[in-house]
Amino acid sequence: MSDQQLAEWQSHALKLESEINKVVVGQQSPIRLITTAIFSRGHVLLEGDVGVGKTTLLRAFTRGIGGGYQRIEGTIDLMPNDLVYHTYLGEDGRPHVSPGPLLSEGENLSVFFFNEINRARPQVHSLLLRVMAERTLSAFNKEHEFPHMLVFADRNQVEKEETFEIPSAARDRFMMEIPILVPKDNDIMESLIFDTRFHNVDKLVEQVSPNVLQFDALNSIASLIQEKIQASPTLRKYALNLWLATKNPESFGIHIDGVDINRLVVAGASPRGMAMMMRAARVNAWINGRSAVCPEDVHAVFHETIAHRLVFSPVYEMRRTEISRQLLSKIINTVATP
Amino acid sequence: MKKSNFTFCRFRMIIMMLFLMALGLEDALANDPPSPDIPDNMVKMQTVEPERDVGYTVGDLLDRDVTLEVKKPFKLIETSLPIVGYERRYKGQVIGIELRKISHSTSENDGSTIYHLHLTYQVFTNNVVAKAAFLPAEILKFTNISNGEVVQYRIPEWGFRISPLAIYGSVKIEQDMSPFRGPLLLDASKDQLNLKIFIGILTVSLIGIFYIVGKLAWLPIMGRPFAVASRKINRLSSSPENIKKGIAIIHDSLNLTAGNSLFNDNLDFFLTQRPQFIPLRKDFQRFFGLSHHVFFSTENDHDTGSDALYWLKEFCRSCRDCERGLIPELPRKKS
Repeated sequence: MSDQQLAEWQSHALKLESEINKVVVGQQSPIRLITTAIFSRGHVLLEGDVGVGKTTLLRAFTRGIGGGYQRIEGTIDLMPNDLVYHTYLGEDGRPHVSPGPLLSEGENLSVFFFNEINRARPQVHSLLLRVMAERTLSAFNKEHEFPHMLVFADRNQVEKEETFEIPSAARDRFMMEIPILVPKDNDIMESLIFDTRFHNVDKLVEQVSPNVLQFDALNSIASLIQEKIQASPTLRKYALNLWLATKNPESFGIHIDGVDINRLVVAGASPRGMAMMMRAARVNAWINGRSAVCPEDVHAVFHETIAHRLVFSPVYEMRRTEISRQLLSKIINTVATP
Repeated sequence: MKKSNFTFCRFRMIIMMLFLMALGLEDALANDPPSPDIPDNMVKMQTVEPERDVGYTVGDLLDRDVTLEVKKPFKLIETSLPIVGYERRYKGQVIGIELRKISHSTSENDGSTIYHLHLTYQVFTNNVVAKAAFLPAEILKFTNISNGEVVQYRIPEWGFRISPLAIYGSVKIEQDMSPFRGPLLLDASKDQLNLKIFIGILTVSLIGIFYIVGKLAWLPIMGRPFAVASRKINRLSSSPENIKKGIAIIHDSLNLTAGNSLFNDNLDFFLTQRPQFIPLRKDFQRFFGLSHHVFFSTENDHDTGSDALYWLKEFCRSCRDCERGLIPELPRKKS
């Protein structure tokens, strides 16, 4: 029965991908990764330039997943309580309190979309840490649970004014940080300019079939995937070596031009990060119809699950995107299996 | 009548005078009075004689090189050099050896003069049996330029044997063991050349065979990753554990060849970098499939079929061919 379930859900996952690919063109890889994150029950941070379609992509996924959806814009004056409740004067002239975006959907909240997360203050990030990690919130003398919630966030790394760097602890809560780049295919670029269906985002997103996935069944199917997709001893050893290489790249003979590799890494991938990587790798194996994880599944998610967790020496932090990509590529190229 | 007698007498006197002059010239040439010998310490001689001292017959030419180093103040009197064509006698008999050509050169050193003489003699005699002959001794004269004294130096004769043109009667070779004649040799230079060419071809062929078969690593090309892997994997016997070993060996070779860890997802890049492996694209897919099955599948049944190791050996051999830039034989199934 479980094998049949897995097969059915695999077709759902592929359908969701194809639905999203219809409206967001030239982003097959990020779409596969977000699908992977959804079935791994991991939060996703999108990173990219202005106007590359980050928000559209996340809205399209939100529509496909179904369930309660809330969105908030990160601003410099946003405070944690703005996520929890609203206060206003009602028609009766008396003050009223209504649930904020986190609470308004109750347990049915499936997607919490945090737009431009790096514009929010660290206090807001702190609140988000707990919600993302524990999927619970204490408010109004009550413990609120959001068992189906996924946080989709995006940030613009180009703009630095009135923004707050997301601390490494907060970054670590995200399963993946996915770069969104402008498609390189000239035909796609031309259609993005001239095809009018891309000009109205609301209408575009409405083209995605709603509720392709059953949001409240995702947790159970995710558990089933993790249970059924196996990792062999060879693969475990390989993953362990990858982890060690993120901590001590010099011991694996890794060199990067212009970087003192002995001083580069302050902290490698965290245990939580590696666990998330393996969760994502299992889902990737499942989507590809395999019953066991192979190195290619690890590679498919390695950069996106690990790069944002690495902590570099301050001198290299300004170049972290470039250096982390080089470092992880070299780790994959160096660590061998079997 | 008186006048005619006078004329006759005058003619006889002229004839007599000419005869006497001719005799005097011959004496002057043949019986030049001997001079004292040059002191031994004043001259050094080296000669290069003909290579063999037997087997010459009428018409043959014999070359002789003579180098004389004569200390100063002695100087060669060039008119004493042997004369071309002069008939040489020994005990009144013509020896039948004539000088056909002479050339000489002179070089000066600080304390001496070196004279190089090249003498070519021709044989003008023959006999019905082998007979002894010699290149005649030559007398050279030197003058002491400080006091005008004339001295001489004798270049010794060189003996050899003249062979008859034809042999009369039957010859028993075992009774004809003359030490003066070496064995009669056939001209083997052409065969020797052929032998050298064939040895060269054989050597190149053997190197080629070793190159292709690649059983040993004494050629530089045999130390390449797949050559080494091929030797390792060929030693393995068929067993599940050895199939694992075989796959691991090929993985190592692939990683060494690629310069990084090679997986299915960077195979295309590898093939663009190493296009000689392109003919094996499908076999690479099969190899990675086999590797995944053996190392990453957690199914209890790791059966890879009875010919997995055989296929791995064939695949490794094909990779080795690609590595050497040869067109690979695609891996075959076990017959």
